[in-house]
Amino acid sequence: MKDQPQVLPVEGSVIEGPGRYRRRLTALSRQALLAAVLPIVTAVTALLVWELLVRQSGIAHSILPPPSAIFDKLAGFLGLLLKHAVPTTYETLVAFAISIPLGIVLAAIMIYSPPINRALYANLVFFQLIPKIALAPMFIVWLGIGAESRVAFSIFICFFPILISTVTGLQAVDRDMLRLCKAVGASDLQVLIHVRFPYSFPYIFAGMKVAVTLAIIGVVVGEFIASTEGLGYLILFASSRQQTDLGLAAITVLCVVGLMFYALVVLSEMVIEKFYGSH
Amino acid sequence: MTETTSGPGSDRDADIVCRQVRKVYNANGRLLEAVRNADFTVADGEFVALLGPSGCGKSTLLMMIGGIESITSGEIYAGGEPVTGPRREFGIMLQDPTLLPWKSAMDNVMFPIDMMRLSRRQYMDRALELLHTIGLAGFERSKPRELSGGMRQRVAICRALISDPRVLLMDEPFSALDAMTRDEMNILMLDLWETYRKTAIFVTHSIREAVLLSDRVLVMRDRPSTIISDTSIPFPRPRSIGLGETPEFNELCAMLRDLIEVARSDGAAQGGAAS
Ligand SMILES: Nc1ncnc2c1ncn2[C@@H]1O[C@H](COP(=O)(O)OP(=O)(O)OP(=O)(O)O)[C@@H](O)[C@H]1O
Ligand SMILES: [Mg+2]
Repeated sequence: MKDQPQVLPVEGSVIEGPGRYRRRLTALSRQALLAAVLPIVTAVTALLVWELLVRQSGIAHSILPPPSAIFDKLAGFLGLLLKHAVPTTYETLVAFAISIPLGIVLAAIMIYSPPINRALYANLVFFQLIPKIALAPMFIVWLGIGAESRVAFSIFICFFPILISTVTGLQAVDRDMLRLCKAVGASDLQVLIHVRFPYSFPYIFAGMKVAVTLAIIGVVVGEFIASTEGLGYLILFASSRQQTDLGLAAITVLCVVGLMFYALVVLSEMVIEKFYGSH
Repeated sequence: MTETTSGPGSDRDADIVCRQVRKVYNANGRLLEAVRNADFTVADGEFVALLGPSGCGKSTLLMMIGGIESITSGEIYAGGEPVTGPRREFGIMLQDPTLLPWKSAMDNVMFPIDMMRLSRRQYMDRALELLHTIGLAGFERSKPRELSGGMRQRVAICRALISDPRVLLMDEPFSALDAMTRDEMNILMLDLWETYRKTAIFVTHSIREAVLLSDRVLVMRDRPSTIISDTSIPFPRPRSIGLGETPEFNELCAMLRDLIEVARSDGAAQGGAAS
């Protein structure tokens, strides 16, 4: 016994009791729980305050219905709401699905062709500066009141963030990596596909998160202007008849549609992260 | 083909020949001379270190030899042929391991083969052998994030060697590593040298690393960016890291340090006078 070296207890050493580990874990999950619960508590409180205020003040429901009235409408007119949600969702999906390859391909062309880049860039920035919403009626003039005009307008306002973030991402590859590619004789196309493109995924997804919201805005604005279906049409119809509760129910459905699209982008990003992420 | 007996590419046994190589960068209208009149040869199978202060143009010179940067004037020959672009007989290593984070160690090693559209099957065994030789057996499928800095640089070495290049160009490959890992990599480099002897140019900031690894040390200075000395390192091979303890080794290092010191103070004096 006397010949054995002494083991000194060291503060924060690797030899930690399981209790200590468990305590740290519970502290962590408590934090996560708090982060998830707090916003929900805030939202529920706000809805309750809204409900109480409307009931106490006796304000007309056509001006501001209480949340309970909106939920009633949501339940009572679910069929109608969903029927109008279909074209809105579909047109948004088409516009978004076209914008992604459009933005990415245009970005790739701009990266590899300095003349095209120079010719396009200033004009694109100019288009970005004009309030594009103002052009919505023009799209109706040009393409009629069908889905085409709404999809086109939606693409028009949502592909730009994808383009710009992809351009940034494709250029973000570091110099040494590009030197290596050049040294092993990789062609421009190979570098684009095998190196630049995967490196720019985080940028592309950041652009897509902005774009997906804009895509819905584009479709709804189109529906406001001239349409006989869709959530935008329903919102306009309800508010023109002072059916504010129905209008707000349609807006609630629109929020859900928007969240679904956003979740779709986030999910795809997580899948891509798993294969291409660096962490 | 006619044999030329004189002129640039004809030095006997020379693999790499630089003749009055100059590089002027045009950075937004401001001209910057990064390399002035570099003039040297590297013999076949020779290991040459390029030593010099930061920003003196070492990387630029190496990239010109590798055909990655354009040459403003002068000539570079490799194996008797003028260098006009990247060549398959060159393997390259940079300060950053530049591994693709989504590819396994194995696939990163195979990257040049994939880019050159060579047969994967044909090089698979060589990739495995290289990874084993270099001490990465069992890590073939690991992603770069699961490897340490030294291990990543080992993967980069395998990648540089995969297509069996005749010439290795290395730009401060170990300078991002800690001192201990760096010693380890130097030992590995010496071992590799006995196995796969190649013509090599090795850029470094470390005088000791240069003397330990190379047959010749070229010292480069700044303003103007030229090569100011060419020193033979006479120690026989195979060498071991213990060489660094000998007085002869330290004498050579001290001499090179003086050379660099002179170059630096000259440069500073000229820079001061110019401004
Ligand atoms: N693409 C470029 N355009 C303009 N100037 C450049 C470019 N690349 C390098 N330079 C300049 O040329 C000079 C030499 O650069 P280089 O990278 O070759 O130096 P270095 O000796 O490798 O330095 P370090 O030891 O820090 O790596 C520096 O002044 C640098 O700013
Ligand atoms: Mg350098």
